Amino acid sequence: MSLFRIEKLTKAYDNRVVLDLPKLEIEKNQITALLGPNGAGKTTLLNMLAFLESPTSGKIWYQHKQVKFTRAEIHALRREVVLLEQYPILFSTTVFKNIEFGLKVRNIPAKKREYIITEALELVGMQDFSTASARRLSGGETQRVAIARALALSPKFFLCDEPTSSVDVENQAVIVSLLRELNETKKMSILFSTHDRSLATSLAHQTLALDHGRLATTAIENVFSATIQCDKNGAHHCTLNPNVTLISAANIPPSFKQPTRIFIDPIAIQLVSNEEQQLENNVVKGVVFQIVKENDRIKIGVDTGIRLTLLIPEEEYQRKRIIIGDTLILAIPPGAVRPVL
Amino acid sequence: MDLLIDSLYSAVLLVMSLDPEMLTIVGVSVKISLISTLIAAVAGIPSGFGIAFGAFPYKRVVITALNTLLAFPTVVIGLFVYVFISRRGIFGPLDLLYTQKAIIIGQVILIFPVITSFTISAISRIDERYRKTAMTLGANRFQTAWVVFREARFGIAAANIAAFGRVISEVGISMMLGGNISGFTRTMTTAMALEYDKGAFTLAVALGLVLLSLSFGMNLIFNFFQGKSNP
Repeated sequence: MSLFRIEKLTKAYDNRVVLDLPKLEIEKNQITALLGPNGAGKTTLLNMLAFLESPTSGKIWYQHKQVKFTRAEIHALRREVVLLEQYPILFSTTVFKNIEFGLKVRNIPAKKREYIITEALELVGMQDFSTASARRLSGGETQRVAIARALALSPKFFLCDEPTSSVDVENQAVIVSLLRELNETKKMSILFSTHDRSLATSLAHQTLALDHGRLATTAIENVFSATIQCDKNGAHHCTLNPNVTLISAANIPPSFKQPTRIFIDPIAIQLVSNEEQQLENNVVKGVVFQIVKENDRIKIGVDTGIRLTLLIPEEEYQRKRIIIGDTLILAIPPGAVRPVL
Repeated sequence: MDLLIDSLYSAVLLVMSLDPEMLTIVGVSVKISLISTLIAAVAGIPSGFGIAFGAFPYKRVVITALNTLLAFPTVVIGLFVYVFISRRGIFGPLDLLYTQKAIIIGQVILIFPVITSFTISAISRIDERYRKTAMTLGANRFQTAWVVFREARFGIAAANIAAFGRVISEVGISMMLGGNISGFTRTMTTAMALEYDKGAFTLAVALGLVLLSLSFGMNLIFNFFQGKSNP
């Protein structure tokens, strides 16, 4: 069931179109990832889904009702949706009062407010910070308090603009598990934007990709069309092209009329030596055509007949001294070959 | 040099003795300045908000005009208001000339641009995310404005303190519209000018000391509030 439906939506600033979406649906009770590079229009789309901006043209349906963007309607809808910004800002008061703000404007009685705030702070592990000054918190703590502030309002739809990009690894894990828990236990619909495609694939049920303000079908690297066949041992063979067939551990239904879209996790792909390749399934050989640093990993593009991307730790890259034009042997674990949801 | 030392010595003694004439002058000055600042704040802060938040044609022109008015000479305002409130002016029948009300009218005109302009500047410096955050947390327009006001409160307080400093130290309006009537419209600055004319420096220097102390006190209060903003 769709929570949002968008048709022929555009958003322009000073006659410059930054978002152009002919059609888009966002499912209810699911986690949706919004992938895309900087300037792809992710934040603009999030602002519109949070009813903070109105489209230049086009229509948006929220819970099967067309949004008119009148002041009264928008105000009511904003109380069902909360946006967590990439770099959230806390009001210059205590943590408690920050969380209390949204509850106060909803006229929730003081006693109930206190209970909700305590519960929200416990949820993000910040229960000892209730009286702390919001200005004195670290980046990760600020992010967690901002999440608590949003969750205290029990939104029907929780939008997060790159929720893990500005925090350390420890806080990233806390945030990811929290989002998953909220979706699983409270059936909260969540949409988050990210650059991290492995986070998108591991956390989201649905992944959308934006590029230059448009929906991009191929913006996600390592997504391929494949023909799926099941052998007598039950192994799923994904034929990507006549020369590349990979075995998947996932239970993918065999494709008859249309090819199936599969995703190969770039972090799971391993670099192996000549000797090691004998021991592995799903081994492909290719030439390096691209090397890019991406966060704490190195992204390597390898042309194996299909253009594969792998993400390896920086130390491994330095140890192996890979350069463009090198021939690499890649082992793709069957678990890394998954259908696109 | 002896004149300065002697005047300073006598002035300190005068201040310490709490001379009744001096206290009356200080009282009139502070009262008029406070009322002027209050009225200008009531009008200027919402105007600043409206201009900062509003999207209307010629907004930049309005802001430029306000900034230009910051340098409005007090004697020009005095003259301008005089034209309206003198016996032959359209407000002549109200008998405002040479009253405290006349000084207040002139001073409000003087500092309204100060408060409005500084409020616009204080609000413009506030991170746009405060507004967006308040909105996504369900605040209506007034609640959102209140959030922005809260975050800009020290900038706005500074605007009011600057305005108070401007009116308590101005002389043109008080002299032209107040008439320097003893015990009624004689302010610290007009009294100092009079004492200077008479060649009697003691009271002038004493009032100067009080004026400086007031300015110092205002700064102390401002710093106290600013300190409160960084708990």
